[in-house]
Amino acid sequence: RAVLCISGGLPKPTNITFLSINMRNILQWSPPEGLQGAEVTYTVQYFIYGQKKWLNKSECRNINRTCCDLSVETSDYEHQYYAKVKAIWETNCSKWVETGRFYPFLETQIGPPGIALSTDEKSISIVLTAPEKWKRNPEDSSVSMQQIYSNLKYNVSIYNTKSNKTWSQCVTNHTLVLGWLEPDTLYCVHVLSLAPGPPRLAQPSEKQCVRTLKDQTSALK
Amino acid sequence: GQEFQFGPCRVEGVVLQELWEAFRAMKDIVQAKDNITSVRLLRKEVLQNVSDTESCYLIRALLKFYLNTVFKNSLDKAADSRIRKSFSTLANNFFVIASKLQPSQEKEMFSTSESARRRFLLFQRAFQQLDIQAAQTKAFGEVDILLTWMEKFYQ
Repeated sequence: RAVLCISGGLPKPTNITFLSINMRNILQWSPPEGLQGAEVTYTVQYFIYGQKKWLNKSECRNINRTCCDLSVETSDYEHQYYAKVKAIWETNCSKWVETGRFYPFLETQIGPPGIALSTDEKSISIVLTAPEKWKRNPEDSSVSMQQIYSNLKYNVSIYNTKSNKTWSQCVTNHTLVLGWLEPDTLYCVHVLSLAPGPPRLAQPSEKQCVRTLKDQTSALK
Repeated sequence: GQEFQFGPCRVEGVVLQELWEAFRAMKDIVQAKDNITSVRLLRKEVLQNVSDTESCYLIRALLKFYLNTVFKNSLDKAADSRIRKSFSTLANNFFVIASKLQPSQEKEMFSTSESARRRFLLFQRAFQQLDIQAAQTKAFGEVDILLTWMEKFYQ
């Protein structure tokens, strides 16, 4: 049931923005200033650009938290969206505060790929697995971000712990063999996913390290 | 380097990342000026499932429209210098691309060009239903939709 309140009686929430990773789209904001300690609640609505009405998100009506998961409502990543939130306290509420136009296809952060490393004396082979699109239920079928961004690229950074040198390569396919390495040396790798479009934030993978094997020829001498 | 390949039409010498950066610099300003959020000019029906052969006709029509109708007379209204810089980057690159597009005029391509024309008319009619300045602002704010579609043909 909609709560009747005096609009504009409260300051607006601030810093409203979408945090989007692999198409998981979470609206987040900061509480209105000057209301510390007050039991403020919030109500969220969203809008599909090109359509007519603001729509309610029932799970985000009169909530205490300062975030709202709109992944389902914004799952068509070729659409563009707006969202807005207002603060409510007792019989007062703020005016709405709105996001800019949110375009998931261009703005979602691409998570890191899965990395599998294997090695021999002088080379390391790297197998990358594209990150998965967010899914509502774990049992839903998986959609790879590669299916959304056919020209997904990866920036692979390699660090030689002995020489303290780092180099990186940009690859499009999922397997990469690094040759001419030093035997018996620890190499560390981390990978960034790169999608087309304007520059966007990306989450680097965890660093993974592997040691090349000892040089068998010198071992036999 | 990379090039556009709109079906048979190839366009070299354009760095798409520069267009993206130009648009990003003005996105928030321009889109905030668009108050008619219930209208989207580049709707899905305009750009979805465009065949390769159709793409050359469609992109040429769209870019010429942007140059002759959206960008025209807009530059002097762009008070904000960030917009003016982005504006000229986009306009110059759109001009380069459009001038290099030579879609086939052969008879057997008529149905393809007609299909592209119908798509373009969807966009143009939606544009013409709005006040010219509001329509220019909206079309300007939708350049990210256009670039997203163009990127599919950039290799």
